[in-house]
Formats: sequence, C-alpha cells, structure tokens
Amino acid sequence: MSILSLQNISKRYGAVQALSGVSFDVPAGSVFGILGPNGSGKTTLLGIVTDVLRPDTGSFTLFDRVPSAAERRQIGTLLETPNFYHYLSAYKNLEISAAIKQRGKDDIARVLEICGLTQRQHSAFKTYSLGMKQRLAIAAVLLGDPDVLILDEPTNGLDPSGIAEVRELVRKLADSGKTIILASHLLDEVEKVCTHVAILRSGKLLLSGPVNTVISRNDFVEMAAADLPALCAVMLKYPGCTGAVIQGSIVKASFAELPNPAAINNYCAEQGIWLGYLQLRKKSLETAFLEITNINAS
Amino acid sequence: MKQIIYTEWLKVKSYRTFWVMLLLALVIIPAGNFMVADKFSENLEQVSKMFGNPFSFPEVWLTMASMNSYISILFGLLLIILVTNEYTYRTNRQNVIDGWERSQFVYAKLFWLAAISLLTLVVATISAALIGVIYGNKPFSLEGYQYMLYYFLQFNVMLIIALLIGVLVKRAGLAIVLFIAYNMMLDQLLSFFVKRYIGPVGGLLPLQSGDELLPFPLVSKMVSASDQYETSVYITAMIAYIALGIYLVFRKILKSDL
Repeated sequence: MSILSLQNISKRYGAVQALSGVSFDVPAGSVFGILGPNGSGKTTLLGIVTDVLRPDTGSFTLFDRVPSAAERRQIGTLLETPNFYHYLSAYKNLEISAAIKQRGKDDIARVLEICGLTQRQHSAFKTYSLGMKQRLAIAAVLLGDPDVLILDEPTNGLDPSGIAEVRELVRKLADSGKTIILASHLLDEVEKVCTHVAILRSGKLLLSGPVNTVISRNDFVEMAAADLPALCAVMLKYPGCTGAVIQGSIVKASFAELPNPAAINNYCAEQGIWLGYLQLRKKSLETAFLEITNINAS
Repeated sequence: MKQIIYTEWLKVKSYRTFWVMLLLALVIIPAGNFMVADKFSENLEQVSKMFGNPFSFPEVWLTMASMNSYISILFGLLLIILVTNEYTYRTNRQNVIDGWERSQFVYAKLFWLAAISLLTLVVATISAALIGVIYGNKPFSLEGYQYMLYYFLQFNVMLIIALLIGVLVKRAGLAIVLFIAYNMMLDQLLSFFVKRYIGPVGGLLPLQSGDELLPFPLVSKMVSASDQYETSVYITAMIAYIALGIYLVFRKILKSDL
C-alpha cells in the first residue's frame, strides 16, 4: 500500500512555479526523505498534502483513498513552523490538538515527557524558547501515536543535543514500523535516517526511490605522486576510470565500479609513476547531491 | 458540531481578553439602557405627555432596540479578534492539518456568530423588559417585540461583516480599523448620498436596512416615513446580506490557500 501517492502536482505563486508536475509514491514503512535546497518546493508539496494549499493541477491519495480530514487525523504533521495559541499553555494547546484529532487527553502526558516539556507544560506558549516551541510541535505530532508522520524540517531551531534527540526519536519511530515523511535541506539528516528519498530542485522532481539507488555514491581514490599532472593523465587512461582531477596536493580519481587499490598501484608503477599516497574514499552525500542537482540542471 | 463547539470552548476557556470583552459588551447593554431611561424619565415628562412614554410597553421594545443598535460594535470587534487570532497564530492551518475540514473551520466561526447574537438578544430582551417594568407605566406586553428581532437581524448583519472582514484581511489591526470605519461612517455616508442623489434604495445598504426599521421613537413620530419601503423589503435585504456574507466566507476559506 502507498501511504502517499502524488500524481502530477503543480503549483504556481504568481510568477514563481513552486512545483511542476511532481509525482512519486511513499511506500508504507519507509522513512521517506524529501530533499532539496531552500525554496525548492518541499513545504509547498507538504502543504498540498495537508490541504492547507490548493494545487493548480494534479491529485494525490492518502492510504490509497481520496484524502479528507479523516485521513489527516491519522497522520501527525509538523509543517513549517509550530502553530499554537500563544496565550495557552503547552498542555491546553495539546488538548485542542487532541480534540481535533478526536483522540482522548490521556496521551498528552506521554508526549510531553518524550519531548522534555513536562516541567514547563503549564507555562504559556508565548514564554517558550524557539527550541521549546519546536519540541511542542513534535509532541503534537506524536499525539495519539499515529502510524504516519510528516515532519518538515523537524530540527529547526534546536540546539545540537536537541537535534541529536530528534534524530534518535525519528530512528526509534522508524524502527517501530512507522512511515515517516521527512523534508529537509540537511543532507546528513536524510542520510542518517532515510530509506527512500525524493530530490526536488526549483519545484521539479529530479529523482526518487530508495536512497542507495537514487544517490549512487561510487567510491573514489585519492592519490599523490611527485608529478601530479602526469599522474592525472595516466589515471584517465586507466580502465574504468571516469575522471581524474588535481585538488591541491592530491589527485582525485573516480570510477564506474569499485576500484582495486592494489591494481591501481601496480598500474601506476608500470607507467613509471611511484605513488606516495593512495586512499580509497566514499563519496560524501553532499557531493552526490550536488552532482545530481547540477547534472539535472544543466 | 458538538466536537467543534468543544474545541472552540477550549480555545477561549482561559483567554482573558475574550472574557473581558464579552463581559464589557454585555454589561454595556443594560448599563446603557438604564442610564438613558433614568436620564430621560426625569427630563421628558412634558414630551412624554404628548408622544407617550418611550419606556412603557410596547414602545420600550423599539426604544431599547434602537438604542442597542448603536452599541453593537464591541461584539463585532470580539468576533474579529477570535478570527484574526487564528491567522496571527497560523492555527487556522494547524486546525486543518490536525484533521478539520476547511468547512469545519467556518462552522466554528459561525458558531461564535450565532452564540454571540443569541446571547445578546437574551440580554437585550431581559434588559428592555426590566426597563419597561421599572420606568414604564403599562403592564408587560410582547406587543412590539418584533423591533427586538429587527435589532437581532441587524446585529447578525453586523457580525457577518466583521467575520468577512476578518477572513479577508486576516490581520487584527487593519481588520478592526476597516470594520469600525464601515460601521461608524461608511455605511451611513453611502446611504446618505445614495438616498440624496438616487432614492430610497440608499436605505437598503447592509447596516442601514436595520436602522430604517429602528428609528429613534420620538424622532419617528415627528419625521414622516413616506419615503421608505415596506418592512418586509428591509428584512429580506438583511437576510440576503447574511446569506451573501456566509457564502463569501465559505468561498474564501474553501478555495484559497490557508
């Protein structure tokens, strides 16, 4: 079953095409990252899914059904900013969330505890720090223990320990079989927790699918020798080498398939170049991401 | 609907501004009624011999309805604050995200419109009845009570204008300024010019329709009402304005981005 299935969603704000023809499916049980730079359309997309924004064209389903409020009540959603009544306490705000979600109040204490707000639960929302507001928003998401969560930049405004806690929480929720849709511009956030990813850029879907197939992160080799330009030229002739560039005092060579360092060393020696340094590296997600967005942009 | 009302109750239960404004608006009705009745009863003995006592039944219903129509504005501000708060805190979005249909958000605000207007009608009725009993010289009678119902209709027109401005403008400050400007000046001013240059159709503007049915008692006896439509025309106009207002609020909230 698809938790969320998008078909050809487009949305324009005046002159800005926020989304153009976006389609993808979120499988049940996945941690689905929606990745893209600021302004790429992530929040607009989730706004459409949660019915606060109207798409110009296209449609979507939730739980394979035409979406209505009943489907939204089964999803815990944090969209963009924590939205609460400033004059009410955390507890009273969650009472309102619980009433709208048609769930009892008995879960409020649990979610406040998870988010570390039990001590301050009776203070007015307006007295909260940015991090506490974000924690309350996460508490509201968890209310009623929904099977599907939508988290839009959930670590916004949190300090490093808060960020680590939220990631740990997302991982635990994922382990317990929940489906999580996570929008982020933070690549390592996605790398650390997501099983699937959709990459947006300027409102267009570049790629989507399982993380390992979408972001192919071929290994590369860092090497150094006395004559770097010569090493570079030699490596470009090496079978399976897709590129070699000088970066500072090293040469970076990339390959279509997993390279064998011993074979490379042997090859260079045969060509009369003695390596002073050879190291097999994994491409960083950031590099892979920039490659994807640049390739698709050009 | 029960769940919507319960949720709205949770929103205002500990909201001091709401309770202060509501109490103030409700107290102003009997306070104003009694103040006027007290002052005028002393000074108007001669006049009332000629025109009848405006604080006796059945005239007291018209007198108080007419008076109350001047002090409705606070309730409109209260409704504007309830609506624009949702936009300020962006809780209008959160309510939908959490599982309300957009239409349920409209019902929630229409509930306030109904609750405020019914509460006001009850308070105004009790207050006028007390005035009639205390300052009048005739026994209690519901004759002439239709003026209270005209006041109730006009009150609802005023509230739907407040709701519409709140939903369209979204920001409390600007919405309040526009609402007060319309209530205190624009409606009367437009009505005045239309009446002068076009004809009695000027009396059919939203708030003026109610005013036409609620002349101040002594004035109405001195000024001829020959250039007025039938009462039913004004009533129809007010009901049409309420219906149009509700339609526009639904349209705005159902169609646009939140």
